[in-house]
Amino acid sequence: MKGVLVARLDNMTEKKNAAGPQDKQRVTRLVAPGEDLGNLEGHELGHGVIAIDGRIRATKNGRMNVNGNTVSIEPRRTAYVPRPGDLVIGYVEGCTNNIWFVDIGAPFNAILPMSLGPSKADFGGTRSVIDIGEAILCRVQEVEETHSSVVTMKGMGLRKIRSGAVENIDPHLLGRLIGKQGKALRELKEESECRVIVGDNGRLWIDGDFNGTLEVRNRLRSLTAEAKAVTLGGVA
Amino acid sequence: MGYGDVEMIDANGIRKDGRKAGDVRPISIELGVVPVADGSCRMRWGTNDVIAAIYGPMEAHPRKIQRQDRAVLDVRYNMAPFSTSDRIRPGFNRRSREISKVTAEALESVVMLELYPRSKIRVEIEIICAEAGTRCVGLTAASVALAHAGIPMTDLVVSVASGKINDVVVCDLNKAEDNYGEADLPMGVLPNTGELVFLQMDGDLSPEEFQEAWDYNMNAAMVIHEYCVEALKTGRYPQ
Amino acid sequence: MSIPLVPQLLRSHLRELAQNDQRLDSRTQFEGRDVEIEVGILANAEGSARVRMGDTIVLAGVKFQTMTPYPDRPNEGGLMCMAEVRPVSGRQHEAGPPSAESIELSRVVDRGIRESGCIDTSDLCIIPGEKAWQVILDLFAVSDDGNLFDAFALAGITALRNATIPQEKFELGEDRPLVVSKTPIMCSYQRVGGRFIFDANGREELGGDERIHITLGDDNHVHSLQKGLKGAFTAAEFTELMEEARKKGDELRNMVHALEGGN
Repeated sequence: MKGVLVARLDNMTEKKNAAGPQDKQRVTRLVAPGEDLGNLEGHELGHGVIAIDGRIRATKNGRMNVNGNTVSIEPRRTAYVPRPGDLVIGYVEGCTNNIWFVDIGAPFNAILPMSLGPSKADFGGTRSVIDIGEAILCRVQEVEETHSSVVTMKGMGLRKIRSGAVENIDPHLLGRLIGKQGKALRELKEESECRVIVGDNGRLWIDGDFNGTLEVRNRLRSLTAEAKAVTLGGVA
Repeated sequence: MGYGDVEMIDANGIRKDGRKAGDVRPISIELGVVPVADGSCRMRWGTNDVIAAIYGPMEAHPRKIQRQDRAVLDVRYNMAPFSTSDRIRPGFNRRSREISKVTAEALESVVMLELYPRSKIRVEIEIICAEAGTRCVGLTAASVALAHAGIPMTDLVVSVASGKINDVVVCDLNKAEDNYGEADLPMGVLPNTGELVFLQMDGDLSPEEFQEAWDYNMNAAMVIHEYCVEALKTGRYPQ
Repeated sequence: MSIPLVPQLLRSHLRELAQNDQRLDSRTQFEGRDVEIEVGILANAEGSARVRMGDTIVLAGVKFQTMTPYPDRPNEGGLMCMAEVRPVSGRQHEAGPPSAESIELSRVVDRGIRESGCIDTSDLCIIPGEKAWQVILDLFAVSDDGNLFDAFALAGITALRNATIPQEKFELGEDRPLVVSKTPIMCSYQRVGGRFIFDANGREELGGDERIHITLGDDNHVHSLQKGLKGAFTAAEFTELMEEARKKGDELRNMVHALEGGN
C-alpha cells in the first residue's frame, strides 16, 4: 500500500462532525472506496479519506462532505472504536478473581479492574458485585495502542443498570439522534417520557414504560432507515 | 474426449450463448441481502448466484490467529450443496480451502487492516448457484460487501477470468467453455491503478494469446467496476 | 464466542413486556412476522424455494441421486434432509463442525416432513432391488434472525412440492414431478418472558427459554413434536399451542398451495 495516513479514520464520535454541517456550504456526492476526490493541496483530511500521491482518495462508501476545506465521508456504517472519556454501556462477559471482562461493542472486550469497580469486594468475590450478563454504565479510562481498553465505574452516575432496555444504533448516527446542542434527544425524552442515556458505543439505555420505550425504539429504527435511504437510495 | 472437437465459437465469432469474444455475461448486484450481517452483497453473473457477507471487526478467536499489528481477514469460500448439477457433499473441501486462501490474500492488499490490530474481519462467500468463474464472482462480491460494511479500503477488487476456446481467446468463460476450453486466466484487479492482487492460470496460452486474455480481463474489470460503484451508491445494479 | 451472552437486562425487559402482553417488535402473542415464499430460484436444483420471515432468510434445494435400495426395502427409494447453518447467517455462528443445535434443527425438520408420509418412497423405485431415487433436501440459512425451524420446514416442503425428478438427465425416461401428497407445516413456540409466543425473532430467541415444535399435516394429524431447551410446560399450555398451530398451519399451507397453481 503506497498511501500515507494523515488523519484518524476509525471513529465518528465527534458529534459536531457526525451531525454533518447544516449551516455551512455542503457539497454532497455519494462515493465508493477507491474513488478519487481531487487534489490534496489546500484541503484537510477528515473521516474516511486518505492521501495517496498528492490526491485524496475515499476509503469508505458513503456521502462525501466538504466542510470548509475539510473533506470527509459520512459512511453507511462505522465500527465502534473506543476512546478515553467515552461513556459506554457494556455487558459483563466474564471475570477472574479481580477483573471483569466487558463487551462494549468494540473489536475487543474492555477490562474493568476491581479497583475501578462500583464497590469493594473480597478477592474472588467479583461475581457477587457484578454478575456475568449484567449491564453497566461505565467510562473508558484508557485505550492501549492495540485498541483494548480499561473502563471505570468510578464517576458520577456510573452504575449497574438494573431496569429498562438497551438498544443499539450505529455510532455515526449518534450525532443525528442527539441533535444540535442536544435538542433532538431532549424532545425524544419528553415525548416518550423515558430516561434515555446515550452511550458513545452506539448503545442506548431506555428507562420508562413500554409505550415510551417503543417510541424511542421506533425513532432509532427510522433514523437508521433514513440514513440508509440517504446514502444508498432506499435499499438496505 | 477431444476438447478441440466441441464447437464453442462459430466462424462469425459468436459463442454458444450468443456472446462475442469480448463480451461479459450479464451481471446484477444487490446490497444488504443478509440483513443480520454488517455488510452484504449478492452478485448474479450469468447463472452464477453468489452471496458475500461481512462480520466485524471483532475479537480474533482463537488467540493463535491474532496478529498484534493488524486485523486478520477470516475468509470462507464455500459452495452450497445445491449449487452445482451434481450435488456437493457438505464438509471440508480442498478446492474451497485454496480459494479461501488466495481470496483472503487478494483482499488483504486493499483492506486497511492496520486500523484494527488484534481483531478479525469475517468474510463469508457462499456460492448458491455455480456456472464457472465462481472465485471471480466471490472475490468481487466480497470486496463490495466489505465496502458496504464500512470497512476502510484503498480500492475495490474486481475479478474476471478470460480463456481460450477453439483456439480463440475470449473474455469471461461460461461453464461449457471452462470445461471444454484450452486455458483459464482469472485475475483480480485494483481499478485505480490497474495493479493485480489475484492471479491464477491453467492451460496453454502463447505469449500473444496471454496478452490478449490479460487485456480482455483488464477492460472487463473496468466496466464491472462501474457496476459495483453504482451498486454501492444506490443499493443495486442495474436499477 | 460460540455461546452467546444473554444479557440479564434483556430477559427482565422481555418479562416486563410479556406481563403487559407486549413484544419487542409490537407483534401480538401468536402473531408471526410477514412471510414471503418464492419457488424455482436455484437453477441447478431440481426443486427450490426461498422463505423470508422478517430478517430470517433461508433457501431449500432438492437434488436427486440414484441409490441402491436397502435389502429390507427393495422397492423403495429414500429421502434425506440436511440443514446447514453456516457462519454467513449470523455473527454468533462460528465456523466448525455442525453444532448440536444445528443437528437438532436438521433432524426435527426431517422428521416433520418424513413422518407425514408426504413422499411415497415406493414411487421412487426405478428397478426393484437394484436402483431407486434418493431425494436430497438441503436447507441453507442465509440470514438468522430467529426461528430457523419454521423457516426451514416451510422452505423444505415448498421445494419438495415444486420438484421435478430429472429422469431425462439420467436416461430413465421423461422428467416427471415428484409426487408429494401432503403439506406438513411446522409451528414453533418459545417461552419468552414467562409465556409462549409464536415465531420468536433473534432477540426473543436469545432471551427466551424452552421451545416446542409442532408439525401438523393437512388433516390436522400430528406428525412430529419436539421440545427443546431447558424448562417445563403444562398440559393446558400445550393444548393452547396445538390450537394455535392448527390455525397458523392452515394459513401457511394455503400459502404453499397458492404457489403451485392448481396442484
